Amino acid sequence: MDYNSFKNAVAAAAKAQGIADYELYYEASEDCSISTFRHEINQFSSSLDGGVCFRCIVDGKMGYASTEALGEAEAVSLVSRAADNARTLESEDQVFLGQGGQTYASCPHTCPEMAPTDLIRKVALEGDALLYAADPMVADGSEAQVVSQKMSVAIMNSNGLDLSYESGSHIFIASSVLYDGTELSTDYSIACGDLNTMDIAATVAKSVAKAKAKMGADVAPTGAYPVVFSPEAMGSLLSTFSGVFNAERVRRGLSRMGGKEGQVVASPMVTLVDDPFYKDSIMPLPFDAEGTPTYKKNVIENGVLKTLLYDLKTAAAVGKKTTGNAAKHNYAAPVGIMPFTMYLAPGELTEEELLQKAGNGVYITSLGGLHAGANPISGDFSLQSSGFMIENGVKTKAVKSFTVAGNWYNLLQQITALSDEVKLPGFPGKTAFASPAVLVEGLTVAGK
Amino acid sequence: MIAKDICERVLQEAVSTGADYAELFAENTVQHSINMLDKKVDSINDAVIAGASIRLYKGLRSVMASTVDTSEAGLLRCARKAADALGEGTAEIAISLRERLYGDIHPVRIVPSTAPNSEKLVFLKDAYFAAQEYSDAIRQVNGTFLDVDHRILIATSEGLYAQDRQIRTRLTIQAVAEHNGETQTGTCGPGRRMGLEVFTDVVDPKETGIEAARQAVTMSKAGYCPAGVMPVAIGNAFGGVIFHEACGHSLEASSVAYGTSEFTGKLGQQIANPKVTAIDDGTIPGAWGSINIDDEGTPARKNVLIEKGVLKTYMIDKFNARRMGLPATGNSRRQSYAYTPTSRMTNTYIATGTDTEEEIFGSMEFGLYAKAMGGGSVNPATGEFNFAVNEGYLVRNGKICEPVRGASLVGKGSDVIRNIDMVSSNLELAQGMCGSSSGSIPTSVGEPLIRVSSITVGGR
Repeated sequence: MDYNSFKNAVAAAAKAQGIADYELYYEASEDCSISTFRHEINQFSSSLDGGVCFRCIVDGKMGYASTEALGEAEAVSLVSRAADNARTLESEDQVFLGQGGQTYASCPHTCPEMAPTDLIRKVALEGDALLYAADPMVADGSEAQVVSQKMSVAIMNSNGLDLSYESGSHIFIASSVLYDGTELSTDYSIACGDLNTMDIAATVAKSVAKAKAKMGADVAPTGAYPVVFSPEAMGSLLSTFSGVFNAERVRRGLSRMGGKEGQVVASPMVTLVDDPFYKDSIMPLPFDAEGTPTYKKNVIENGVLKTLLYDLKTAAAVGKKTTGNAAKHNYAAPVGIMPFTMYLAPGELTEEELLQKAGNGVYITSLGGLHAGANPISGDFSLQSSGFMIENGVKTKAVKSFTVAGNWYNLLQQITALSDEVKLPGFPGKTAFASPAVLVEGLTVAGK
Repeated sequence: MIAKDICERVLQEAVSTGADYAELFAENTVQHSINMLDKKVDSINDAVIAGASIRLYKGLRSVMASTVDTSEAGLLRCARKAADALGEGTAEIAISLRERLYGDIHPVRIVPSTAPNSEKLVFLKDAYFAAQEYSDAIRQVNGTFLDVDHRILIATSEGLYAQDRQIRTRLTIQAVAEHNGETQTGTCGPGRRMGLEVFTDVVDPKETGIEAARQAVTMSKAGYCPAGVMPVAIGNAFGGVIFHEACGHSLEASSVAYGTSEFTGKLGQQIANPKVTAIDDGTIPGAWGSINIDDEGTPARKNVLIEKGVLKTYMIDKFNARRMGLPATGNSRRQSYAYTPTSRMTNTYIATGTDTEEEIFGSMEFGLYAKAMGGGSVNPATGEFNFAVNEGYLVRNGKICEPVRGASLVGKGSDVIRNIDMVSSNLELAQGMCGSSSGSIPTSVGEPLIRVSSITVGGR
C-alpha cells in the first residue's frame, strides 16, 4: 500500500475509533552508497526506508505509535495502539497539534536529485585513485565512499495542516590510512553538494594531509594551558552540549540554563545562532516537526542568553512562543526539541592570529568518546583528544592520547577569541553544528 | 514471515547476474518503550519495524539492497536492483531451500510485546520511586522500560531457510542529584534476553533505582579527579567495557580484514598479559547480547579470543571470512534490515583470575579505583581508545578513599591489555548498546575486578 492510500486508511480508522484530533507524520529516504577497497568497488548498498508515525489526543494526552508496514490492518492497529498509549500517560502538560494555513519561507538554495549509479561508481573509483596517488604512505584500508540520498517528509493533521517537503544530497567521504612501516595514522574528510561540481581532489588531499600531519605524534604533557579548538572539535563539543538550550530539558531540571534568559551566560564575544536555512545545510527546512514555520535566531547574543529553543508544548507550559524547533530524531520518535544548523558566529582574528594570542598551549583538532566522556546535565567533560602543540604562537608537533577536561557552562565564559571563518564539519544531517576556531583559557590537559 | 517458495523465487532473481552467494534477510520487530519523568508517565514509543534486504557476493565484492516493501513484487524488485548493481552475467547457481530449526536456548515466559502497559509500569514505577525516594538530594529521575520483540528470517543460496525470535527487556534509571548548586548523574540499566519475568526472577527493580540514585548522590559530593598517569583498579561487570573498547573492536573482522586493526596478522602471538583470557560468547542463556543464530544464519558460538595472553581467534562474518580465508564465527550482526551486517561482539568478557581484591588494592600506593564505568570508543587502526569513569575513588596506600568525578581513561589498546596485570574472580556481565557501522546492537561487557598497572587518567 502506498502512503496516500495508507493516509486515507488511517483517517478512516481514526474516525471509526472516535478519534477527532490526530496527526500523521511520514518520512522516507532513498539512498545509494558505494565504497572502495584496493582500487575496486567493495560494497554497494541501496535502500528504501520509511515509515509513518501516528499521534492522537485522547483525554488530553498525546499518544504515539509508528510503523513501517503500510497496510489496511496495520492502519487500524496503529490508531488503536496510539490511543491505548495515550490512556497510559500521566503527564499533565497541555498538548497541541499544529494549525493549518500558516505561511512558510521558501528555501534559499536547491538540493540535487539522486545521482545515477554510474556517476556514483565513477566518482568512488576516481576518489580511490586520487587517494593512492596522494602520498606514498597511503595504505590499504583507505577508502572512498560516495552516497547519494533523497529524503522526504510529510505532515497531515486534523487541524488542516498538510505539508510536504523533499531534499537530497550527495556526499563524498575520503578516509585515509597512512603507514610508514611502523605506525598507522587515519583521518577523513567529507564534502557535500552536487557530485557534478564537487571538488573531489581537494577533499582527498585534505584527508591525506590530516592523517599525515598526525604521524609521529607524541603524548601531550599534563598541565593547564590555553586550548584552541578547531572548528571540527568545537562543532562536536557544541553538538554534545546543544541540549542545554532545549527549553524542555531546562524545565525538567536537566540543564543549568533555567531562569537565565536575558542574563549573561557566556563571554561577551560569544554569539550562538540557530539557522534552518544555513548556506551549507543539506536539508534546509521551512517547517518544523509540528508544522511551525522555521526562522533564524540568536540563542546567545554577545554573551547574553536571548532565547532557549521551544516547541508548542514547552512554550505553552512556560508562557512563551514556540521558536519552531520541534524535531524528531527519526520518524518514530516523539516530538522533541532540536536546533537546525547551530553555529558560533565568527570573531575577528585569523586562525594565525588566534594561535599567536594563545602563545603556548595546545590546538585540538579532534575529540573522541563524546557520548561517554561528556555529561550534558552537569556540563562536565573529560575527552580523548588529538592535535598539535602551540609554541610561541605557531602550531608545532603533533600530540595524541591526551584528555582535555572542563565544564561546558564554564567554557562558555572562558572563550577569549574566535577566528573569522565558520566551518561546517562532521557528518551532515537535519541537525548540524558549525564553528570557527575557538580559544579557551583555563582547561586541564592530561597526558604524560 | 515470508514463505519458502517466495524466498526461492526472490533469491533466484537475485543470482540472475552471476552472484556466487545470495541472502534474503527479513525482519518484523515490535519495539516498545515507556518513559517516566517528573514522577509521571511522560511518553511512550511504540514502533513496528518491518522490511527486508537482499545481499549478494561475487568474489570479494558485496552488494546490498533493502526495502520496506515485503510483498513478493517488492522483494523481486529489490532483488533485481541488487542483481543489476552487481553487473552483467548469468545465473550460475540454482536455489533450493531447506528449512532448518535451531533450538531456542533463551526461553521467554512472559512475552512483553503482548503484555499490557500496566504490567510493565509496575516494574518501572518500583524502580523509579526507589530512586526518587533514596535521598532529598535527588532532583530528577528519568526512567525507561524497553522491550523488543525481534523476528528475523534468513534464506541463503546455500539452501538455508531459518528463523529466530529475539526478545529483550530492559529497565534504565538515570537519577540526577544536586549538591551546592552542582548536579551529577547516576545510571543503572539491567536488561536480559528474557521476557517480563526478568524483573521478578533475576533483577529487583527497586535495587536498580537505588543503585542509580546512590551513584548520583555519591558523585554530587565528589571533587574532581586529578590528572596524570597512574595505576587503576577497574570494577567488575560494566568495567569490562575496557576490553570491549581497547581490544574487542580491534578483533572484529571489519577492521582486521582490511589491515586497519593493530591486531591484524597477530594470530597465535602473545598480544596481552598472560593473566588475560578474553571470551566472546553468544550462547549464554538469557544474556543481553545472546543470539541463537547470527544475522547471517550462522549459529552463535563461544569464541575464546585471547587465551592467557595469546590471540586465538578474531570475530568474523561471512563476507570478511572470504577475504581472510577463515571461517565465520557466528558474530555477524545488524541493527535492522536497513544496515549491512558485519562482525560484531555478543557477550564479551575477561575470564576470572586468581588475584584477590585485597591484593589488588594492596598493590596500589596511589591510584584510581574506577568502580563504575560509562561508555567509550576506539579507533581500531591506531588502537587509541577512551572511556568514561562514572564512579571513581582515589586509592592511597591500599585504601579506597574519597570519591572523585569527571575522570576518563585513554590509551592504546595493545598497550593497555599488556598492562592488565592482576585479575580477580568476581566476574559479572553488564548490558549496553554498542554502535558501529552496522548500527546499534545489544551487547554485554564483563570482567572481574582487574588492575591496569599504568594508564592516563584524564581529570583536572
